[in-house]
Amino acid sequence: MKITWNWLADYVDLSGLTPERVAEDLTAAGIPVETVTPLNHGVSGVVVGRIEAIMAHSQAKRLRICTVDIGKKKASIVTAATNVQEGDVVPVAKVGAKLPEKTIELADFRGVASEGMLCSATELGLDDRFLPKEQAEGIWVLPSDAPIGEDVVTYLGLDDVMLELELTPNRGDCLSLRGVAYEVGAIYSRPVHMPDDQPVIAPDESLPLRVQIKTDRCSAYTAQVVAGLTLGPAPMWMQMRLLAVGMRPISNLVDITNYVMFEWGQPLHAFDYDAIAENGIIVRQADAGEELRTLDSQDRELTEDVIVIADSQKGLGLAGVMGGENSEVTASTRAVVIESALFDPITTRRTSQQLQLRSEASLRFEKGPDREAVLPALRRATALMVKYAGGRVIGEPVVTGADVVNPPELPSIRVRVKRVQDVLGYRLEEAELTAICERLGLAVKRDPESLLVTVPPRRPDLVREEDMMEEFARLAGYDRIPSTTLEGVLSHGGLQPTQRLRRIAKDYLRNQGFDEVWTYSFVSGDSHRLLNLEDDHELAQATRLLNPLSEERVALRTNMLSPLLDVARYNASRQVDALFVFELGAVFVPPSADGGAVQPPLEKKVLAGLAYGAAGSEPLYARRRYDFFDLKGLLEGLFGRLGIASALTYERSLAPYFHYGRAASVRLNGDLVGEMGQLRKSVTNAFDLSSDVYYFQLDFDHLFESVAQRLYVVELPRFPQVERDLAVVVKRTVPVADLLTSVRAAVGDLLVSVSVFDVYTGDHVGDDEKSVALRMVFRAYDRTLTEGEAQSAVDQALARLGVDYGAAIRR
Amino acid sequence: MKDRILRLQDTALGELAALAGKDLDAWRVKYLGKKGELSQALRSMGSLSAEERPLVGQVANTVRAELEAAYAIRLAEWEVAKERAQEAEETIDITLPGRTPRVGAEHPLAKIIRRIEDVFVGFGFTVEEGPEVEWDYYNFEALNLPKDHPARDMQDTFYLSEELLMRTHTSPVQARTMEKRRPEWPIRIIVPGRVYRRDDDDATHSHAFTQIEGLVVGQGVRMSDLKGTLLTFARVLFGEDQEIRLRPSFFPFTEPSAEMDIRCIYCGGAGCSTCKHTGWIEVLGCGMVHPRVLEMGGYDPEEVTGFAFGMGVERIAMLLYKIEDIRQFYQNDLRLIRQFAAQAD
Repeated sequence: MKITWNWLADYVDLSGLTPERVAEDLTAAGIPVETVTPLNHGVSGVVVGRIEAIMAHSQAKRLRICTVDIGKKKASIVTAATNVQEGDVVPVAKVGAKLPEKTIELADFRGVASEGMLCSATELGLDDRFLPKEQAEGIWVLPSDAPIGEDVVTYLGLDDVMLELELTPNRGDCLSLRGVAYEVGAIYSRPVHMPDDQPVIAPDESLPLRVQIKTDRCSAYTAQVVAGLTLGPAPMWMQMRLLAVGMRPISNLVDITNYVMFEWGQPLHAFDYDAIAENGIIVRQADAGEELRTLDSQDRELTEDVIVIADSQKGLGLAGVMGGENSEVTASTRAVVIESALFDPITTRRTSQQLQLRSEASLRFEKGPDREAVLPALRRATALMVKYAGGRVIGEPVVTGADVVNPPELPSIRVRVKRVQDVLGYRLEEAELTAICERLGLAVKRDPESLLVTVPPRRPDLVREEDMMEEFARLAGYDRIPSTTLEGVLSHGGLQPTQRLRRIAKDYLRNQGFDEVWTYSFVSGDSHRLLNLEDDHELAQATRLLNPLSEERVALRTNMLSPLLDVARYNASRQVDALFVFELGAVFVPPSADGGAVQPPLEKKVLAGLAYGAAGSEPLYARRRYDFFDLKGLLEGLFGRLGIASALTYERSLAPYFHYGRAASVRLNGDLVGEMGQLRKSVTNAFDLSSDVYYFQLDFDHLFESVAQRLYVVELPRFPQVERDLAVVVKRTVPVADLLTSVRAAVGDLLVSVSVFDVYTGDHVGDDEKSVALRMVFRAYDRTLTEGEAQSAVDQALARLGVDYGAAIRR
Repeated sequence: MKDRILRLQDTALGELAALAGKDLDAWRVKYLGKKGELSQALRSMGSLSAEERPLVGQVANTVRAELEAAYAIRLAEWEVAKERAQEAEETIDITLPGRTPRVGAEHPLAKIIRRIEDVFVGFGFTVEEGPEVEWDYYNFEALNLPKDHPARDMQDTFYLSEELLMRTHTSPVQARTMEKRRPEWPIRIIVPGRVYRRDDDDATHSHAFTQIEGLVVGQGVRMSDLKGTLLTFARVLFGEDQEIRLRPSFFPFTEPSAEMDIRCIYCGGAGCSTCKHTGWIEVLGCGMVHPRVLEMGGYDPEEVTGFAFGMGVERIAMLLYKIEDIRQFYQNDLRLIRQFAAQAD
């Protein structure tokens, strides 16, 4: 919302104040003023002049020499402009004049001296976005009644300052000069005086008008017929004010309705009286499928939810949003109907959203304008049309609708003084509360413990006691609120167990050289294809957004792989040749196979990582490439850190994005909790990655549910342990983990640990065989093991391996 | 005889001075061994008179002791020299780089979240979380934002269905926490999390960003407590001499509502381009929990009151680390991220 300083001064005394001071104080009171901009961007020495004569330039075809009356003297000015004629009134920059972009000097145009310059609106620093086209191009031809010789800064009202307010949605009242005037009045304890026009009804003329409200979504409808209007430009000061607040001047009738809307916050509309069949306006819900061509020449198809202004035969306009083309006021209009009405905010909001028609009017109707402004605004517009468009007021206004005919009693809010003090945390005395109400223009009644505040309809945001607390606090000044410490029972703070575990896991990964990244949660609709996933794969059934912003981000990620591959691609293309990254974030698993979003997707926190490149960081030292066992070791270390290593098992994973022979799924007590492995070449190639790339993803919260929260130490052993090695030959396809499992089962309690320390394939074993060397550690808790006991344990292990896997001892 | 022994001593010591390695051992054998020269000299003592014998014996023992001592010293000298020589051989260029284990970097947003969590945990807050896909009810309605409320325009929303959306703020966790804990109080929580707005990405807007929300509900919670809590917080995060300023604002779920500014951390309040020459920087929104929100959460606003606040983590990270473009947080350029490996806190 933009306003200007001089315009505001029409309604509230601003003497002794500056725009900067008011901007600061409004901001401190909760009406943030974003910018304070002088309308004059550096114009001086420019006056209104009349072109008396135009002569051709003998030396230059494109130039003309104008004799211009600039008040007490005449100036000879050379111009290249083509749009001026003798008799035109134009802005003239005299020698020495300053414009935003330049200073005017006596100039010589091929032998002819030019004592100044004729100016365009843009050269005067006006924003040509809102200027009528004929004003935006070429020299600005001013109205013929502009006073010759007057400084254009004065004439155009450029000696003013624009203030741009950034209003919060609750302060719809400040979408008007009146509302801002009340705020300023409240801050400085100054009264607000709005114009109170009483239009004089023309005698002996009659143009009948009837209004029927046939919907409960219109609570007031008032209308005034004005005849004998002359369509033309609005007075320059009005045009300039509208321009300053971002409205394009159009014509005196339209500009007046806009001007009054800015003044009162009440949107108005003017219909051509003769376009209304049978002199009867009907306010009703639209029929489904009903069509209406709006003022912007668009054909709109309406739904039953829309309110239309209509006559007995056709629609005339969309209530509160935009008028219809068929009732537009034109030069041949004999009489207009000015409408000032109240339409249901929610309906107006929905209509403007559905039709994508946001207008200054709909913006104000959405916030619920003030029923007490409906008639004053109508009278004001009527008076301005009489004054500036030569209109005659025909009859009394039509006034219908409960909000104006029989307005409800004003609501009041009970404010408990002690409650205000208790909630704000300091003593605002009753006298000050009362004074603040009065400054705000709110009537107050007192009883012993509380105040009864009557709220006028211009402040619909004031409903509860808390709303009044904010009024008190902000007008007393938020800086008066002291800083205190929370009182009451002690509460112990802290992270929840999973949050603590996440920090441990993240610290661990960082200490293992992994950088933390954060990627977006939205992916493209076909991101799964780059991962070699068929369209019917579970991970391809991503939940989709109803209203995405771009093709790149239409669906919720179901995995971390494609976002992390994007990170790898981005960095690889910037010469990063070793990358170790991880992310802890949410993936979204659709609730059902159809991908429907009736139920929310299952949101899983996953810990995922991607790695490629040299395992060490200094190129000076031997460079070993990161491989599967680096990755597995990383995760085993993490599981060890969290005390769950022994509960996990690894199986070959056949996920389509993994290398067929170098990937594992991780199971916790049989449940799938993660996967890891080398990515397939065809997948990494799609992301322009040339190295072998390794990926892991762990279902974090599930995995770490099993983390023990307590630790009980195991008693230290009192007897020595015995180590025995055993090398066995088995088929190559037998997983070593299975051998270890067999050994554990065979030996039982005496076994402290069994681990693999060598795997051999080659000449000394068969082509499809391998030799696996196992180291076993035995111990009994109550005695020193004998040689015989140890040997017998080894024999048990070997026998079991022979039965389970055909293992033979290697000779 | 005595002279012979003393000459022997002189000769031996003379030889010893220059000896090293195996020569030392040979010297020891030659002079001090069982068949060495000293022993031989003593062996010939039989020819001496009974008076001379103890005297010469004494001299011989003194000489032996001296030679042994000299030998030990020389041996030690030589061993030191030998070790030095060995080390000289093994000398490396200690300016070559070490085999540094790679240490990863914390993402700047994670770092800010951790710091803020720790501040509030110290105040006795617990950390709560909630889903990113949220029901319209928790995201809007339970926060006093009924359908068709104009304030919904403040937050353009991604929808999954009529009732399901990507949460636009972390505030639904307020509603969820109250629902879970009612009628218990106090509630003192801090809520970090990712949120979504239907904004085109540019240097200052992101369709996904991070918020931290705080909620306190209890008996006699005052707006001055909100101010005191935030002041302490601002001082921990932005510096001990920080000041804060509250300005009236509007949020549907708080009343009264405020924006909190801190003194510009670059110019200290003198005015610069970052603070648009106001000396203040807006950091968060806050207010007293709206009574409707308390009611919908199952609390009686006459019995308890509360305050809430929420801030954008990216904004704070941009301020603290001078990051100019919000997209950089999600671009994951390791040349940027790696810079955070070196920052202790």
